[in-house]
Amino acid sequence: MSLRNVRIIAMKDFRDVLRDRRTLIFMMLLPIAVMPLLMIGLTKFMTAQQRSKDERSVTIAMDPSTRNALIALGREWVAENRDSWAAYKAKKVLEQEEVASALGAVGDSLRDTDAEAGEAESAAAAAEEQQALEKLPEFDRHMLAGVADARAVDRILELVEFVRLADVEGSGALTSGIEIPESVPAALNDPRLAVAIQDKEIDAAFYMPPDALTSMENTDGAVAAWLLHDSSITMSGETADRMDDFIRAVGRGRLEVRVREAQLPAHFTEPIYVEVADVATPSRKVQAFLGGLLPYMLLAFCFGGAFYPALDVTAGEKERFTLETLLLAPASRFEIALGKFSVVFVAAIVAALLATASMAVTFTQGILPADVAAKLDLTFEPLALALTASMILPVAALYAAMLLAVGLFARSFKEAQSYAMPLQFLCVLPSMISLIPDLETESYLAWIPFVNISLLIKELLKGNYLWEFYVITIVSTLLLTIAALFFAATMFKRESVLLRT
Amino acid sequence: MTSPLAVEARGLAKTYGRGKNRTEAVKDVTLDCRPGEVFGLLGPNGAGKTTTLRMLSTVLAPSAGSAQIAGRDVVADPDGVRSAIGFLSGNTGLAPRLTPREVLTYFGNLYALPRRDIVARIEELAKLFDMEGFLDRRCDKLSSGMKQKVNVARTAIHDPEVLILDEPTVGLDVLASRTIVEFVRDCRERGRCVIFSTHIMGEVSRLCDRLAIIHKGRVQFLGTLAELRAAHGDDLEEAFVAVLEQSR
Repeated sequence: MSLRNVRIIAMKDFRDVLRDRRTLIFMMLLPIAVMPLLMIGLTKFMTAQQRSKDERSVTIAMDPSTRNALIALGREWVAENRDSWAAYKAKKVLEQEEVASALGAVGDSLRDTDAEAGEAESAAAAAEEQQALEKLPEFDRHMLAGVADARAVDRILELVEFVRLADVEGSGALTSGIEIPESVPAALNDPRLAVAIQDKEIDAAFYMPPDALTSMENTDGAVAAWLLHDSSITMSGETADRMDDFIRAVGRGRLEVRVREAQLPAHFTEPIYVEVADVATPSRKVQAFLGGLLPYMLLAFCFGGAFYPALDVTAGEKERFTLETLLLAPASRFEIALGKFSVVFVAAIVAALLATASMAVTFTQGILPADVAAKLDLTFEPLALALTASMILPVAALYAAMLLAVGLFARSFKEAQSYAMPLQFLCVLPSMISLIPDLETESYLAWIPFVNISLLIKELLKGNYLWEFYVITIVSTLLLTIAALFFAATMFKRESVLLRT
Repeated sequence: MTSPLAVEARGLAKTYGRGKNRTEAVKDVTLDCRPGEVFGLLGPNGAGKTTTLRMLSTVLAPSAGSAQIAGRDVVADPDGVRSAIGFLSGNTGLAPRLTPREVLTYFGNLYALPRRDIVARIEELAKLFDMEGFLDRRCDKLSSGMKQKVNVARTAIHDPEVLILDEPTVGLDVLASRTIVEFVRDCRERGRCVIFSTHIMGEVSRLCDRLAIIHKGRVQFLGTLAELRAAHGDDLEEAFVAVLEQSR
């Protein structure tokens, strides 16, 4: 075998495929552009979705007396919990996500953000809230819970449009799969209400007994309120959540009043509670998510990078009648096969590397929105990266060999594409297993092609070095690669395949 | 012992498929060509000409028989045979995204020519085929006549002992055809053997020293033009048809 011939053929094919727009797009442009575009697009879309869901008013049908009672309860809560209310108002301009984050981060202090938060409010309100904030005690667990309750109260006071139960028109039949449970009180047991919810005329219907407020005044009184909603409709579900949060918030507020009036200790109703400390930093959470996404993306881009060059240097050459020209040159079929394999192999590696580099740049170089980027502090250990790279080599070779065989067998580029598509499902879809969170990496999975690579890369990036799994994966992938290469080389020796047009 | 013949084929046969699908593309082809000779290969479509030429050029392995090119066996020494021949047919295209200079350099490298020789040979062929104006233009931007010139130049980059040209002038205008015919003559003068397959009787009478007419996978006539005319009359086309009629 002449390595010189292999090099000559590879260099020519490189030059050839690099002048092909499709190859350039799949090998270079997509791996570079997809990740930043996807991440930026996805982040913006999800933020916009969340914001629109958060800021949207909901429509709840109820009696005027119930409405008045709800507003009274809300205002009473605000009057009783001025500190929490002020703290919440100061944070109001921030995203819901950050409120949730603040609830989990014990060390986080509102005082650090008060100036920034104040900008969103009118100057007078900001000054008032500033004063309230300065009077705040230590920002503890109770305060954080209070901020969440304030938010729940605010959303019912500010973001609910009320309609009278009697004004709900709801005409037409109920869709199958919808029925009003028998336990629902008569006021809400009206098919028109269910139809109106189903038709999104209203988001929910709410009922509270007329004597609710009086009952709550009694120390041992309990009130059952009812909410009719359809959890299969997003905003109806959201309405139920808002109302549930509100009722719990005012319930807690009322309980505190009762405890205070009964002159009981503050912790009377809370004999035990749990303080939760999450050892995973936000960047660790993102790392776990990316660890799942990366293997899939790497394999997908690796296959994508090999796809067009492989078909171009085989089926494409057949179609252009240049393969037979090459067969007439003094190069053995094996040298031709190896030359073409080298090109496809390198293309697959380049695509995978570019995709990785693009991801690295996306997550570290300020391409992502600042609030998302602030949570990322990604560091992968060099050994993990080196082992990941060592996995990409055999898989790129495997993809290259498989695609070359398919491309060579096909009569035309089009036919090759139709063969390669199912191959893509076979080669890339199994790697999606890494997207399943917390999947146990059991030994037998190391024998399943592509699943093993995907899971291993995921574990490596998390810093888990599963050596036995690694060895089995490398050995099994290499064996498969050798078989695929042998098969591809055999195809290059069969004139019925080479001249099949 | 080295054969004085440039091409020597004995009982060449090629079959495809098995059982009911078995097809005998070439049944029995025996011919020989000498250095400094233009050998015409004639036959109707489907006669087995291209299959025979593909066997001679090692693209196809013979099912039976043997062939030697410049003393090298097509089965035992395919690389040696490929070094000694230049082959052109409708199935040998040019990489469309490369320029003629790149194509010629590529094949020059594969034939292991020194870099300096490749450059000189490209200049020489560019002059011969009047390719200087488009030597650095991509092949997919060239006219069919330009492409064919490049393709013929590709077969000659290593100045092979045997040139196999399967219908090299098909679809070309008069000027381009004339360039190729002159090139074939030039090869003969330099002692090269040219196997020239064509349907154009004018080219046969102008160029070929000897010829073979293949029909139904067998050689039906082998001899000089004079012998063909003596046997079947002066009109070459009529003589050709007469040979085909005889073989029915």
